[in-house]
Amino acid sequence: MQNKKTITLTFFGMLLLLIAIVLSVTYGTKSVGLSDIIDAVLSRNTSAYNVNVVRARIPRTLFGLIAGASLGISGLLMQSITKNPIADPSILGVNTGAALFIVTGIAFFHIQSKPAYIGLSFVGAMLTTGFVYKLASLGYGGPSPIKLAISGAATSTALSSIISLIVMPDSSVMTTYRFWQVGSIGGASNEDILWILPFFILALIVSLSLSDQLNTLLLSEETSISLGLHVNRTKALAALCGVILCATTTAMAGPISFVGLMVPHVIRMLIGSNHFPLILLSGIYGSSVLLLSDILGRIFGRPGELESGIMTALIGAPVFILIIRRAKVASL
Amino acid sequence: MQQNHHLIADHLSAGYGEKTILNDVTLHIPHQKISVILGSNGSGKSTLLKTFCRLLSPTEGNIMLDGKSLPTMKSKDIARTIGLLPQSSVAPEGIKVAELVSRGRFPYRKFMSPLTSEDYAAIEEAMAAMEITDLADRSIEELSGGQRQRVFIALALAQQTDILFLDEPTTYLDIAYQIEILDLLKELNHCKHTTIVMVLHDINLSSKYADYIFAMKNGHLIKEGTPEEIITADTIHDIYGINSLVIPDPLSKSPFVIPISSHDAAKGIS
Repeated sequence: MQNKKTITLTFFGMLLLLIAIVLSVTYGTKSVGLSDIIDAVLSRNTSAYNVNVVRARIPRTLFGLIAGASLGISGLLMQSITKNPIADPSILGVNTGAALFIVTGIAFFHIQSKPAYIGLSFVGAMLTTGFVYKLASLGYGGPSPIKLAISGAATSTALSSIISLIVMPDSSVMTTYRFWQVGSIGGASNEDILWILPFFILALIVSLSLSDQLNTLLLSEETSISLGLHVNRTKALAALCGVILCATTTAMAGPISFVGLMVPHVIRMLIGSNHFPLILLSGIYGSSVLLLSDILGRIFGRPGELESGIMTALIGAPVFILIIRRAKVASL
Repeated sequence: MQQNHHLIADHLSAGYGEKTILNDVTLHIPHQKISVILGSNGSGKSTLLKTFCRLLSPTEGNIMLDGKSLPTMKSKDIARTIGLLPQSSVAPEGIKVAELVSRGRFPYRKFMSPLTSEDYAAIEEAMAAMEITDLADRSIEELSGGQRQRVFIALALAQQTDILFLDEPTTYLDIAYQIEILDLLKELNHCKHTTIVMVLHDINLSSKYADYIFAMKNGHLIKEGTPEEIITADTIHDIYGINSLVIPDPLSKSPFVIPISSHDAAKGIS
């Protein structure tokens, strides 16, 4: 019903994403020109220095693309499931849960392989999601948005202390953890991308196929049930997708906050609550925001660079405050 | 489209947790009529309605639709026959009226496909029946309480069910909106022969609009019948524990209840 806005926003998003992609491969400590990109893409002139710079930045860009989209969609799913405008993987403690498991892996089992990171991250994220949901369900009235946010924050704080407990005594673990924990897309390799791509595609397809169900879920629970929606099945499937998306990204890049919170929120404000376009646009704008944050990190961190996780937090915090001020209603 | 549906509660008990609220109720929803469930607070009337609408599972007994027990049927098939307007409805922020009403088509939607012409026809018809066609492009926040309630009823109508349950559809509305909503429901029952079952608090409005009344007390169905049979001083006393004077409504001739307060008694009026 709001097709015009959706089309405009899609067009603008694609344009923004394209600009972000081009900037991401050209801009940095060593800047290159457009012709070098074309050469690199066409595998021409492969010995030239600039062409190799571009080729080195391609995995980082591709990874940022997938990670940003994953975070945006993951945040959207969590907001819809919990009917809570301030839900996202970091607020609900899901990222911290993933982090705890990865740290445990690093410290006690000396994990190094990417599948081990992804596996542990997924288990940690899944368990934390279940725990936070159960905790919020205690007492009268079930898991209300406020109770979810509070249980998420409490759980996250508790898990963070356990992480510190594991990390502090061991300087080698500390070093590994430190670089993983700030959230950087800079270290991504082609292999990393191949690991997370299947998960991303699977979760994206399942989420899109759930759009009608998610639209119905946003009505009251009574109405959803009387419309014939399997409420629990829908929530479980969508939560699984959300957790897969954020766990794979977190495993590779560390916890990146605020993308999952602000992107879906702003898109929802602009186009309403139809999930099919919401999912796609949260993905497109999630990618753009993460890539642009990464580029800003390269600008502000010169001659080195600031991790994208720091940049998203810097940009995201003020937006978060705005959202909270707007969302006094505390529900969708 | 209107079929002869039989909806029956068969020795039905239900409640929350350990607490049984509804106790061994057996009743048959009158076909193509407007029925009202009356009862004091905590009498089980809302629980009865919630159990009919699958919001609560029976602890004992069954709800039978056309001879089949509800849990054995497909969720969407039930949703094409039984609709519900819950006590309080929720709309996503910023949603437009027409889009909200279109959500009522969920039980008919095919996997991953856009709305069909049938869907659009049902949405238009539902909006016309609730007289909200002009509001189609307005967002839900801009509407008055009465308009909003009509939008939510239209959502349930777009579901095109032969049976429609409404849980206190007039609560929070002033008398003008109450009459407006009940008139629209009466119209719906008259034109589309929709079977309507609702919980109402107002005895006189129930008497005016209902074809049939179920009287509940302490989780039991204590009496059922036409308003003339149920709205008597004795039954009102049984349900609510108050004394009253029942006179015929000068306009509709339906029974009209005047509650007697202790002050009236002191003045020696009764």
